[in-house]
Amino acid sequence: MKNKLEKINVKAVLTIATAALLSTSNPVLANSTKVDTDSSNVSEEGSWDFDSAFLFYSEVDRVSAGEVIINAQKTFANDEILNLKLTVDALTGASANGAVAQPNVQTFTRPSGNGQYTIEAGETPLDDTFHDTRVQLNGQWTQPIAPNYTASGGVHLSKEYDYLSLGINGNIAFDFDRKNSTFSAGFSYFQDTFTPEGGIPNAFSSMLIGDSSSASWDDNFSQTRIDADDTKTTTDILLGFTQVINRRMITQFNYSYSTVDGYLNDPFKVISVVNSETGLTQDNIYESRPDSRVKQSVYAQSLYHFDSSVLDVSYRYMWDDWEITSHTIDSRFRIPLGDSFGKESYLQPHFRFYQQSAAEFYQPFLIDGSALPNYASADYRIGEMTAFTVGLKYGLLVDNGHELSFRLEYYHQAPEDAGFDTPGELKDIELYPTIDAIIAQVTYSF
Amino acid sequence: MNKNRTVQLIKNKDGYGITFNAMASPCEVIIQSMDKPLVTQLADLITNEVWRIEDKYSRYNKLSVCSAINNNAGRSVSIDQETYLLLNFAEQCYQLSDGLFDISSGVLRKVWSFKGDKNETDNFPTVKKINAMLCRVGWRKIHFDQTQIILAKGMEIDFGGIGKEYAVDRAIQVAKQLTQSPVLVNLGGDLAVTSCRLNNEPWQVAIEHPDSNSDSYDNTSTDMIVSLKTGALATSGDARRYLIKDGKRYSHILNAKTGWPINDAPRSITVVAPQCIQAGILATLGLLQGNHAEEFLTEQEIQYWARR
Amino acid sequence: MKKHFKVGFFIPLILSVTGCANLGVEPWERDLLAQDEMSLNASPVDTALDDHIYFSKEASSGGKGFGGGGCGCN
Repeated sequence: MKNKLEKINVKAVLTIATAALLSTSNPVLANSTKVDTDSSNVSEEGSWDFDSAFLFYSEVDRVSAGEVIINAQKTFANDEILNLKLTVDALTGASANGAVAQPNVQTFTRPSGNGQYTIEAGETPLDDTFHDTRVQLNGQWTQPIAPNYTASGGVHLSKEYDYLSLGINGNIAFDFDRKNSTFSAGFSYFQDTFTPEGGIPNAFSSMLIGDSSSASWDDNFSQTRIDADDTKTTTDILLGFTQVINRRMITQFNYSYSTVDGYLNDPFKVISVVNSETGLTQDNIYESRPDSRVKQSVYAQSLYHFDSSVLDVSYRYMWDDWEITSHTIDSRFRIPLGDSFGKESYLQPHFRFYQQSAAEFYQPFLIDGSALPNYASADYRIGEMTAFTVGLKYGLLVDNGHELSFRLEYYHQAPEDAGFDTPGELKDIELYPTIDAIIAQVTYSF
Repeated sequence: MNKNRTVQLIKNKDGYGITFNAMASPCEVIIQSMDKPLVTQLADLITNEVWRIEDKYSRYNKLSVCSAINNNAGRSVSIDQETYLLLNFAEQCYQLSDGLFDISSGVLRKVWSFKGDKNETDNFPTVKKINAMLCRVGWRKIHFDQTQIILAKGMEIDFGGIGKEYAVDRAIQVAKQLTQSPVLVNLGGDLAVTSCRLNNEPWQVAIEHPDSNSDSYDNTSTDMIVSLKTGALATSGDARRYLIKDGKRYSHILNAKTGWPINDAPRSITVVAPQCIQAGILATLGLLQGNHAEEFLTEQEIQYWARR
Repeated sequence: MKKHFKVGFFIPLILSVTGCANLGVEPWERDLLAQDEMSLNASPVDTALDDHIYFSKEASSGGKGFGGGGCGCN
């Protein structure tokens, strides 16, 4: 039988033993962060989470756009998630119409046929007719359908003055190996209808220049048009594989296959036919692209968590049957600032590099007298180009733990000479002007 | 293993209740705060920590550290600091109880099966069977240090006796780090509080009567109400797991040295102590004293309730 | 051929990754991975806005997600 002194020691010994057991710092506490419903364990019906953002995009001397997104998400009892998104954007300003700059003043007809506009000598022809507002609605439903299987399906609707897009998507994901690995397969299908003002132009027909108020104008103009509208369908297949590498690192690999069929021309763009010796424009004709395009891409992304900062790097390689290939490297580095610059604030520098090769039928202009190719387009967006983006994002918590963030970025596009001979006067003209744009965004989540 | 890992928030007059399931028990966290983002954050941190401990130490989880140790009996298994500290704590309890508390005694469940049957059971194992199983029990046969553990072949360890209370104490640490608001963490009856309620009010905790789900429950056996201002409370008992033979009730607490149920233990013991794991061990140590339970607990000068 | 090589390169990479038994973490080691900033699409609103810009100004789209149709901006 123990003596009284030994018996009292049980409580004391236990007190010391308990203190030793509970003394170590808890890893969970050191990494406590703001929680939102994307990763929260809490599933509560009847509570919506919102993200709202306003973006301003502006190119020097060219297009400006404002875009507003409101995203609402609600989680239901069995890990079912409904996501609704409303996007409204408005575009204004001038875009290149594809014609080549000249040492003299040029006149072009607006896409609607109502009116002309003139371009100064030496300037890249820009059409400033565009002010358009677009409204887009998305709905997405995600739910587990079996242990380790998650399915998702959604709809898309986008409407602007001259364009309607309807789409659906579906996706299944399968988790295995302690949810360290995930395979996913998805598809999407879009049906778009284009009803450009002025109708669909006859490919390779000349842009009619004249006086749009004259009596015969309407007749002559409509002869350059073939239809009021046209359609295109886009079908995408996406295969993905996600793998947790270790406690600090996760990676993802995707393969995607996309086929677009239908009207793929830009009805507002022309290509100049220039004299082979002087380089002076003889005619501007509407561009012509194939009626199908098959794109494939492979994409790899990696996230690495250092002691407190996180690095996100991704690479995408795209190739298609228009002979365009592109490389995209995108990287973000998130640096937490603690509470010194705002509650749970952070800075996130961003750098993106992009390079593409020209489409097989891309030409900055056509030579008068040469045989007309099957397809031709002078749209610099399918020409050879290098671009980069540098930006910085700053975020913090305000009010009751809601997140507010600001993002400012600089986007620089440098179209490149894909090796075309420049005849005559064109040698003295800047045929591949760079485009600089500012991107500014404010986001508030509540 | 089908686990329901959803977390529900319930809004009350002066705070929130957070309910979820863990360690095969209904769990709840009560916080006296109306700050919903804070409550959500607390819910996530606590459930993540509790489920983390469950995934790591549950012997029902094939991927747990506990299963890894048990499936590799006879070989060295590397362990981390948290596991080492828990084993150290189990060692202290082994010594304090003079060998009666032994986390390697779990294998004895293979010869005993405790259900809540009212009928007498023939499920009593033979002495031969018990002795054979006793060869696989014994803390002294386990060797461990800061980096590894080796069980003798055929042995198994079970953190069930300390896991839930440890999770309560860790959850309280999480809550204290996050907020000054009063929080109560209750994992299946083992609970602790971060401080007293607002306005210096105590928490009112109801302790379930051991008979509350048997057929002989009558309105005179009431649940007990305990006022708790600080610290923790844990209950050990046989409310749902026992055997009856020849009119005698055998608790599911086994004597790790003999392999037999403890004789004449109280039906349940509830202990109040500064930490939950301390309260839990004291309640278990009390039960292990059998008919000396009350004597032992009184001598320890701790607050307890025993029901026979 | 160049195109097929690129796809072929990624498939063995994926297979060799799944073949490594020591990749991945136990459920209790997900403390860092559970953070928002370790999500593969940590700011879906930023991604949606950027994708729209680059879809309008460049010849490529998608990769991370679907790249199809959607608007008349290309």
